[in-house]
Amino acid sequence: MPINGTADPTQLTQYAPTMSSLDTEALTLPDVKVLQVIYEIDDAVMAELIPPALHPTIPPTVHVIGLRADDGPLGAFTLAVVRVGCRAAVRPRGLPTRAVCTAGEAASALEQRWGFPITIGEPVLRERYDRQSIEVNDGNVAVLSAQLIDPVPIGNGDLLYTAGMHIANVERDGETKPWLVQVDPDFEVSRADRGTAQIDAFDSVFWDAPDLRPVYPIVASYTTANITLPRIRYICDPLQPAISGTVAL
Amino acid sequence: MKFGIFYEISVPRPWENDIEHTVYHRCLEQVRLADELGFHSVWAVEHHFLEEYSHCSAPELFLTACAMQTKQIRVGHGIVVCVPQFNHPIRAAERAAVLDILSDGRLEFGTGRSATWTELGGMDANPDETKETWDEYTRTIPQMWTNERYGYEGRAFRMPTRAVLPKPYQKPHPPMWVAVSSPGTEIDAAERGMGSLGLTFGGFAEQEEKVKRYRSIIRNCEPAGAFVNERVATVNFLYCHPDNETGIKTGSRLTGSFGYLAAQLLPVREVHPTRSYPNPGLLAATRQQAAQNPGEGVSAPEGVCIGNPDRLVEEIKKWESCGVDQINFLLNALETIPQEQVLDSLRLFGEEVMPHFRDDQPATTSEPRELAATAAAGD
Repeated sequence: MPINGTADPTQLTQYAPTMSSLDTEALTLPDVKVLQVIYEIDDAVMAELIPPALHPTIPPTVHVIGLRADDGPLGAFTLAVVRVGCRAAVRPRGLPTRAVCTAGEAASALEQRWGFPITIGEPVLRERYDRQSIEVNDGNVAVLSAQLIDPVPIGNGDLLYTAGMHIANVERDGETKPWLVQVDPDFEVSRADRGTAQIDAFDSVFWDAPDLRPVYPIVASYTTANITLPRIRYICDPLQPAISGTVAL
Repeated sequence: MKFGIFYEISVPRPWENDIEHTVYHRCLEQVRLADELGFHSVWAVEHHFLEEYSHCSAPELFLTACAMQTKQIRVGHGIVVCVPQFNHPIRAAERAAVLDILSDGRLEFGTGRSATWTELGGMDANPDETKETWDEYTRTIPQMWTNERYGYEGRAFRMPTRAVLPKPYQKPHPPMWVAVSSPGTEIDAAERGMGSLGLTFGGFAEQEEKVKRYRSIIRNCEPAGAFVNERVATVNFLYCHPDNETGIKTGSRLTGSFGYLAAQLLPVREVHPTRSYPNPGLLAATRQQAAQNPGEGVSAPEGVCIGNPDRLVEEIKKWESCGVDQINFLLNALETIPQEQVLDSLRLFGEEVMPHFRDDQPATTSEPRELAATAAAGD
């Protein structure tokens, strides 16, 4: 059977939030700019990046996501997320290792209501005619610089965004422990481009994914979309295979 | 209705103790039995890098071994990946011709283009280009087979005039097929006068609609080859057991394992948005199958050929009524079912199910089509 993750879930929770409630209402963020840069990663550590509930994809991948909302119910914010591509049983998923968000209402909402492993910072999503980029600095050091180069328009329906499995310390039934929280946003895309993927800086230690090395570019996309963050419907025990460890709420 | 067997050659981890050798030789044993039982064809896919799911990267070699160990069963090269980074078209034509010669004219030639980033990325192929290159291959390979010398200047490749040798044993050439996984590809097959080699596990209604479209369009086709190969094949699972519940339960382990493995791969569409792959194709269909049937229950999904002989006859009659000419069966995945049980299942199917279906489907009707009928009969 496919390879399972080997990471100890408690070791994956350095930046994980504590969620006191999973009773989250859906929320739509209008006209969000979304940059996604996908790379294949070094397979030597693929199993060490994810908990036993999940399988690495074949080949293993990383999704670098930059997201900017200029307005909306959570106000203006910019978010950078690094996710490891994976499978929960047969479902395509991404496991965020860390996210950096500008300060404000969005950061706490994303953390508390959807389990994003948020750190406050100053990610910058730049939109140019010849490229789009997401950059994150830690002090004066670039810990992330990823780009889409030479964008060309594609169909709005050509894109497929995979759902997230966010590891969070969940308070449930009088106990607080790590769970994988399924976050499957709906993307209503109004404009989409595709281009060459390029990662110029990636500090795997900062992103809480030691030894994760992006080694082979796949593709980058840049879209404008209305994103509806969902009600939480499923959580999964990170120690059990998702096919048996998933709990419907 | 004709019956075939279909190989991905799934090899479970751990990959030690000669497991690949064991699995390959078990497959050959199944093929020899299928030949004795009167199965029409054995098909082998071409896949690369698909861990556990398919270790069948050199199907022409496996099929040559099949041909050497059997007498009647036709060998389906299904499919040859028609992308230059995988197979140069000249090499594809040459290898197929040799296989046709060595099998005494038993080759069925399938064409396709791969649906995973796992493979296309691994071969450094551009997913945007695969429809176009496949199209060129389907038109040029028959020319290489039927002209003494051939030259070409195109998008995917070019060649000065040369004699591509040897020529196939079947004249004018082996029947050609198109792998149909995405909806709409059956139209591509029909427009080119090629057989529709279904690779998804859709239900009856979907299949009936596809067949209707295919039959309607192929009447006015412009054949890519020298004749029209009007046939519709679909793929299915097979586990036949005297006890229906045991058959469904064991067969469900097979379908569940297959779908689970398929889901671990990266479909092009998931990571590389392109109009060339509007649907995830085979992988999505098998994944859906797995989700519906994870291997625990005792109910079989619509049309899936697992259960006792009576149930299988009933399901196959429904496929027949949808206009399907041939069903190709997947017999195992991950060695989920022990070899002896696979062989018993094949024997039971041969003895109690196959006699209910007459193999009287003519491949073709007009003059060039008669050539195909001759070819398909292996005369």
